[in-house]
Amino acid sequence: MTTQLDATFAALADPTRRAILARLARGEASVMELAEPFAMSQPAISKHLKVLERAGLISRGRDAQRRPCRLAATPLRDASDWLQGYREFWEASFDALDDVLADLKTQRPPTRRKAKHPKDKP
Amino acid sequence: MTKLTLQTGAPNEIIMQREFAAPRALVIHAMTTPELIQRWLGGKRASVLKASVDLRVGGRYRYVFRRPDGGEFAFGGEYRELADDRIVQTEKFDDYPSESTVTTTFTEIAGKTLVRIAVAFESQAVRDMVMKSGMTEGAGESYDQLEALLAAQ
Repeated sequence: MTTQLDATFAALADPTRRAILARLARGEASVMELAEPFAMSQPAISKHLKVLERAGLISRGRDAQRRPCRLAATPLRDASDWLQGYREFWEASFDALDDVLADLKTQRPPTRRKAKHPKDKP
Repeated sequence: MTKLTLQTGAPNEIIMQREFAAPRALVIHAMTTPELIQRWLGGKRASVLKASVDLRVGGRYRYVFRRPDGGEFAFGGEYRELADDRIVQTEKFDDYPSESTVTTTFTEIAGKTLVRIAVAFESQAVRDMVMKSGMTEGAGESYDQLEALLAAQ
């Protein structure tokens, strides 16, 4: 079963779709307005928009002529928060690991782990 | 200081990369030795209460943490593959049914080591787990984060 976060990451895997979302973060836009800066045809942009819409990342307006696209921020925020938390945990860990490695380097080089023999055990 | 980079290419997988100013053997030593793990894992965000490592294929590891607010969380798993430049292990947080597979590769270049960590996760469970473990504390709602996410290659 595809979860929301899966769908979000799958939709984000494409650079054009990320660029479209970045554009929509600044305000709503029509397909025509979105197609312009990407030098892509409107049908090509529409395909990307369908993926984004299915993933719940954008919504389309009711205006039949224009159907402006809007960013739906919640799924993106969930994905962003998840990554942010995971990233921050490892960022903090690795910064501390830098210090440990610097300490170890001033000591002796690491010895290879000995093969475990039963007699080595207490 | 080198920065951690994060990529979100494939669904179910995130890739973190970080360079360390130490040879590969030393980095692996620091990442797999309990007394050393206690000194760095979690950094300022969580302190390690217990770290156990049975470094062999099929062996298990487990880390128990305490956050600054007093809460505790733990994760652990099993080593699936151990090579000089690659470690494959499972990763599972307590009380959640699903586990992810973490593949860490170590590339030494001119005395420095690039560590690449690919985490293949079962997203719903892991996301929920990470949310509830409090690791997301401090994650704001700013569009800066969003931009960083969107800029990730």
